[in-house]
Amino acid sequence: MSETHHLLIQQIAGGDKQALAALYREFERPVYRFIVSRLNDPHEAADILHEVFMDIWRVASSFEGRSQVRTWIFGIAYRKVIDVHRKRARVYVTDDIPETGDVQDAADAGYAAKQEAEHLKACVGELSDDHRSAISLAFYEDMTCAEIAEIAGVPEGTIKSRLHHAKKLLLHCLSGRIGGRAVA
Amino acid sequence: MTRTREDIALDLPFHVNGTLSEAERAEVDAWLAEDALLRAEHDALSVIRAEMQAEDARSPGEFGLSRLMRDVGREGSALAAPPTPSRTWMWQLAAAVAVIAFLAQSLFVQRDTGEAGFTLAGATGSADMIVSFAPDATEEQIRLLLIGLDVEIVAGPSAIGLYHLDVLEGSDAEAALAGLSAATEIVESVEYAQN
Repeated sequence: MSETHHLLIQQIAGGDKQALAALYREFERPVYRFIVSRLNDPHEAADILHEVFMDIWRVASSFEGRSQVRTWIFGIAYRKVIDVHRKRARVYVTDDIPETGDVQDAADAGYAAKQEAEHLKACVGELSDDHRSAISLAFYEDMTCAEIAEIAGVPEGTIKSRLHHAKKLLLHCLSGRIGGRAVA
Repeated sequence: MTRTREDIALDLPFHVNGTLSEAERAEVDAWLAEDALLRAEHDALSVIRAEMQAEDARSPGEFGLSRLMRDVGREGSALAAPPTPSRTWMWQLAAAVAVIAFLAQSLFVQRDTGEAGFTLAGATGSADMIVSFAPDATEEQIRLLLIGLDVEIVAGPSAIGLYHLDVLEGSDAEAALAGLSAATEIVESVEYAQN
């Protein structure tokens, strides 16, 4: 599969629109999901997705093949969304982990969340972009720590740390939303 | 077990998504067998991942592809555009355009029929495409589709609900037709107009 992707990029670099269409069909859904999970705006996410593939069309010839095509594409999307956030000068809801409740309580709340998808969505929406990106790539795309680190341009330890914080924030948020059932 | 509990906790998301190496996985498994709290965290993460995977994000799909092909085509034609004329040619061209504009204006004044200087939708005339929209398509859906594909309604509706569309100057008619054809929830039929 990886060789097929590399071949597609070479063809795109040569001006092959059909190769671009093939790449789009393969990656459009996951890349869109990644973008929309970070922006919470389907229309803007569609525009960013469009820009990502326009960039691929323009810069395919500069792809050196040192990384996977998937990682490269998600990296472009990652940086595009950061640009959007910069323009918005967005203020995140929180990066601090509240002290109330413990992990066991929150883990119980996680179970209850199975029937409460909307709670999960809301809680993911409250994470900072760094945390949200990490958890999206880990759980939507099932990427390795190394792949996520490459996309975000940070060491693997940073990704592990972001995921750890994201997990705590999510579980705490869920425990608070599910009727205080598990909150001490 | 060579790593600390904290190290193992940091690896839980990757145990859940199945991307750890065999050795790392075995190490985490061993911890999970003995540590109820880690197990609870692991289970909670599994539920979160399952929920996220089950989410259905409606991506732009073929609409997005049509838009992409249209814009890629534009960039391609911009790159393939003839080189900018030299300054000498520019002056000659500007002079010619000025003469043509003067003559055209003179003729227009002489033959002025008193009609408005714009065309209303509903007026007859040539068009690029003819479409009919699905009965349950909303105005917003139609508007977004037409804007996205760079086409505009120039006439219609006819008695049987047909609209005449024009592709905006510089836009790709083929991509617009493909985009309209792909929008099966909004467009019932579409074809090139026989002008």
